[in-house]
Amino acid sequence: MIHAQQLSKSFGQVQAVRNVSLEAPDGQITALLGANGAGKTTSLRMIYGLIRPESGQVRIDGQNPHENRELVLNRLGALPDARGLYKNLTARENIEYFGRLHGMDEETLQQRTDLLIEQLGMQKFANRRTDGFSQGQRVKVALARALVHDPQNIILDEPTNGLDVLATRGVREFLRQEKARGKCVLFSSHVMQEVSAICDRILVIHNGVVCAEGSEQELLAATGQATLEDAFVSLITDDEQTTSEVSA
Amino acid sequence: MKNPFSVIFQKEFRENLRDKRTITSALIMGPLMGPILFAVMFGFMIQQQKNKSEKPLELPVIGADQASSFIKFARQQGAKILPGPDDPEQAIRDKTHDLVLRIDPDYAQQFRHGLPARIQLYYDESNKDSSTPVRRVQRLVNQYSQTIGSLRLQLRGVNPVLTRAAFIEEHDLSTPQSRAALILALLPYVLMIGIFTGGMYLAIDTTAGEKERQSLEPLLLNPVPRSTILAGKLAATVAFSLMAVAITIITFRIAFTFIPFEELGMALKLDARIMGLIFLLLVPVALLAGSLQTIIAAFSRNFREAQTYLSMLLLLPMLPSLAVMIMPLKENAWKMATPILGQNLLINQLVKGEAINPLDLLLAVGGTTAVGLGLAWVAVKLYNRERMLFSS
Repeated sequence: MIHAQQLSKSFGQVQAVRNVSLEAPDGQITALLGANGAGKTTSLRMIYGLIRPESGQVRIDGQNPHENRELVLNRLGALPDARGLYKNLTARENIEYFGRLHGMDEETLQQRTDLLIEQLGMQKFANRRTDGFSQGQRVKVALARALVHDPQNIILDEPTNGLDVLATRGVREFLRQEKARGKCVLFSSHVMQEVSAICDRILVIHNGVVCAEGSEQELLAATGQATLEDAFVSLITDDEQTTSEVSA
Repeated sequence: MKNPFSVIFQKEFRENLRDKRTITSALIMGPLMGPILFAVMFGFMIQQQKNKSEKPLELPVIGADQASSFIKFARQQGAKILPGPDDPEQAIRDKTHDLVLRIDPDYAQQFRHGLPARIQLYYDESNKDSSTPVRRVQRLVNQYSQTIGSLRLQLRGVNPVLTRAAFIEEHDLSTPQSRAALILALLPYVLMIGIFTGGMYLAIDTTAGEKERQSLEPLLLNPVPRSTILAGKLAATVAFSLMAVAITIITFRIAFTFIPFEELGMALKLDARIMGLIFLLLVPVALLAGSLQTIIAAFSRNFREAQTYLSMLLLLPMLPSLAVMIMPLKENAWKMATPILGQNLLINQLVKGEAINPLDLLLAVGGTTAVGLGLAWVAVKLYNRERMLFSS
């Protein structure tokens, strides 16, 4: 379970995130929906403890990732926006490397690696060096290595970015299985269909601020729109009006 | 369960052993080029020396018939008399001869009257090939002049020793080994450059490289302290440096068997004990080099930029020696404790077969280790900074 309260962060003059609060319960998929540059990546980075928020706090299963970093990271698997692989290692070796860094014993590591290779459909390229992998293959390896230690909490930054239809469906199916196992899944996206397809709860983020929150039905009802896309557009244009009113 | 330090070390080590570019530059080119260049330079020097002193002195003489007794003397001394060219100046300019001896037309007459008879020597001092034969000709003429002078005095009943009010007796204390000093001074640099090139790609790969290929952020999401991550990477960098320097030392050992040092009257030693001591001396230099390279690469935005900076760092091994030339350090202890400089001095002593002071060895290893650990600490601190992630 992931809990964030009033997170803010600015880089120089730019306020990237302002007072973002969110809750992602276990057994549900929560989405952070926003356009490019809305503050999704910065919010997630603060949640998984890579950068320190200027104000506000994060709790993952009750622990602060900045104070008990290693404890939290043992219960957390994150797929960041950066998903570079080691090209002189095979896909399997890339996954195993992270497993060993998590202190997994060899037997569990092999079982878990085999399972992930099967679940994500990586049998054909698991023992090849990752140099020259396609975007889809790279994302699958990055996802597998992020989740090799079977964490309770899963954070994914735009997991299906650049994937083709089949690969996207594979990742979605995988996330549904994790949800069914009672995992807490939080991911960011700018793709409406995807959010609509698998999410239980949606947070709309715009200009660093969460401007709406709820299930898809609730968002549609609140905005009086028929599709999530229309609801999203109406929410972020509304927000711009309020912002301009405030600044005026 | 393995500790994360060794997991990281093993991964970096194995991954880089698979990288052709790293292997070629760190373990093949660097360690082989130095010793081979060294052997070629030495071989060239030996060849030149041999040519110069063993070849009979070729002496083109104009007007040889004027000075038959001198010519006879020169032949006795092993000179090969050649017919002189028509125009000596032209012959020197055209480099058809390195030198030309011209017997003055008045030579015979002057000689008969007991007056100084003139022999003209034409040569070009800027022509390096002329320096040895010119010296030999000068010596030849002086010897002849002294011999004749003594005979003339004896004929007049004067003891020729009277003309020598004082004389110089030369004591050249250079041992065969110390004569090699000039070229040998290069040997420590070749070893140091081996260290720097050996770790260069790993230092870049672990910092700027991780950033550029977008793998740093995922790596930092493992429950391992950043200091441990960097320590593992630094250890792999140092290990590559040490492999490179070990290969360099072994290549030197092999190269030395092919260089005929005895022909220069030198004896250079590089036995197992000396090789071991040199390696020991260089271990802390590898730590220093790896940390310094990591720090610089951490400031670079990408692989290419880091590579540019680190190539410039290859000049670093020369700095301490230059600094001492400008500001002489009197205290031997400070010299020994100065990183790289201490190693330079001791490696030269070792190869020349001189006994080294154990205290000097301790100072050199200790001083460099202290600086190396300090730099490693700075590298770890830099790695802990949030900015480290986003400077790309």
